[in-house]
Amino acid sequence: MNLELSLKKALDGFSIDVKLQLDSEMLVLFGPSGAGKTLILKMISGMIRPDEGSISIGTRKVFDSAGGIDVPIRERKVGFLFQDYALFPHMTVYGNISYGISGLEKEAVTKKVGELINVTRLAGLENRYPHELSGGQKQRCALARTLAVEPSLLLLDEPFSALDYQVREKLRADLVNIHAMYPITTILVTHDLEEAFMLGRRIAVVNNGRIEQVGTREDVFYRPVTRDVARFMGARNIFNGTVVSTDGPSTVISSPDIGAVKAIRTEGLMPGQEVSFCIRPEEILVIRPDRTVDPKVQDNILEGEIAYTTGKGSTQILFLKVGKGDTLLKIELPNFVLRKLGLANGRRIRVSLKRENVWVIP
Amino acid sequence: MIDLFPLILTVKVSFFATFFTASIGLVLAWTMAKRDFFGKNVLDVLIMQPLVIPPTVLGYYLLSLFGRSSVLGAFLDSLGIEIVFTWKGAVIASMVSSLPLFVKPARASLEGVGRELEDAARLLGKTEFQIFKTITLPLAWRGIAAGIVMAFARATGEFGATLMVAGNIPGVTQTLPIAIFDAVQSGDTLSANILVGIITLFSFLVLFAAARFTRGRL
Repeated sequence: MNLELSLKKALDGFSIDVKLQLDSEMLVLFGPSGAGKTLILKMISGMIRPDEGSISIGTRKVFDSAGGIDVPIRERKVGFLFQDYALFPHMTVYGNISYGISGLEKEAVTKKVGELINVTRLAGLENRYPHELSGGQKQRCALARTLAVEPSLLLLDEPFSALDYQVREKLRADLVNIHAMYPITTILVTHDLEEAFMLGRRIAVVNNGRIEQVGTREDVFYRPVTRDVARFMGARNIFNGTVVSTDGPSTVISSPDIGAVKAIRTEGLMPGQEVSFCIRPEEILVIRPDRTVDPKVQDNILEGEIAYTTGKGSTQILFLKVGKGDTLLKIELPNFVLRKLGLANGRRIRVSLKRENVWVIP
Repeated sequence: MIDLFPLILTVKVSFFATFFTASIGLVLAWTMAKRDFFGKNVLDVLIMQPLVIPPTVLGYYLLSLFGRSSVLGAFLDSLGIEIVFTWKGAVIASMVSSLPLFVKPARASLEGVGRELEDAARLLGKTEFQIFKTITLPLAWRGIAAGIVMAFARATGEFGATLMVAGNIPGVTQTLPIAIFDAVQSGDTLSANILVGIITLFSFLVLFAAARFTRGRL
């Protein structure tokens, strides 16, 4: 089922203006808290009325401000998974899941609910009430309740944010499996980068009520089109510079922060143009002092002093003072590399950036 | 032998008053809890008025509204319905007095059923009436039940407004509180004591029941 929308809404000191199109897939709406992601979902479902715009689900127009169409929530056939699930507290798991099913014989209902209960791993809990369920069980019960009415569109609002970190991974896998079984056009909202990357083949980055970029996850991750997208994607090293030359195999950029940098050739850049560029912290290689440098990684060599390091679980974050000494380059390394090379604060090291890892923000 | 008429009349008046209070009050409470409209605050203040204005003033308003010289009174009179100085007047006085005591807890408990739960039901294809019946009412019934108990108690104790609208006609409009007043005035201490005992016992039972509803131990 296709979804096509164009929405505008003005609120106190904030406005939404988005256009989006998707096919039968799972699209992730990714962005910081307060970017307007949930609001977009609520407008699609009909819980909040846009000021202007249109929404089409398949060939059906459910909202059109120009044509005066505003299909009520109950007729939109949109499934919505609330952040805190909104299970009916006075109904059992079975009661919740069967609540929306209509026009079926009793046996057909039992069969359908039973199937959903199996798929969502809730067997044996049919007669429990929501307050007797764990967070993950509640989430799956809410999902089953939504799927029971066979929606043509599924909207998931931060479905994992209320859960412990340990169970999230398992539940994400569950969601991917369930989605494979019931391939419904889905939009999932999250502010968790890892989650966005795991679940969305396509990601739309939302910031301040606007969609800054829509693309495959590789696109938004490695080829951000704005500084904000680069920042949200964790490409912490974002610098300004001036294009020096565009001939030859590389584009050369001169940056007041880290000096001259070679990037892969980008079309449409002119010498003298001001640009931003970013380098992902995990793409920076530390050069071992006792080895000669492989010509493949000789594009950009930077030297600096380690300002400080900080642990991040399985990896270490290392900040290197480069340039005139007031610019910090963030580098992410596996713990063992740090141990093996004895990288301690105050040591001077050389690092290499491959030119294909220097992304010029167009 | 003590005259049981005031007791029977009080139960009858309170029963009808509570029935109308709950019916009208539920619509009002739901509207106030779930809808935004122009003049909502004014309506709220209006419903709550009987809690603060003197019952005699309330009674005077009702008397003016339903008296034969008013438009409404004349209209009802032409239909053969008499309100003033009848037991129906006592019902109206009790109803208006007890309305705020019902609307307040009922509205609070209806508001307590979150928008999200109702939206969840809407998303599952339910109509507003189905949602009220299957989601809102089952989750809010304790507050509504508490409101009914409070309204009934208020109706049985109604004195000032009832006296103004229905008067004090023994055997016709003399309710229990008015009978007590009458007994004390005429020096009939025995009757006064018995009637006071009945109403005190009743009040205890009511508050006990209301507490059980609100604490959810029913």
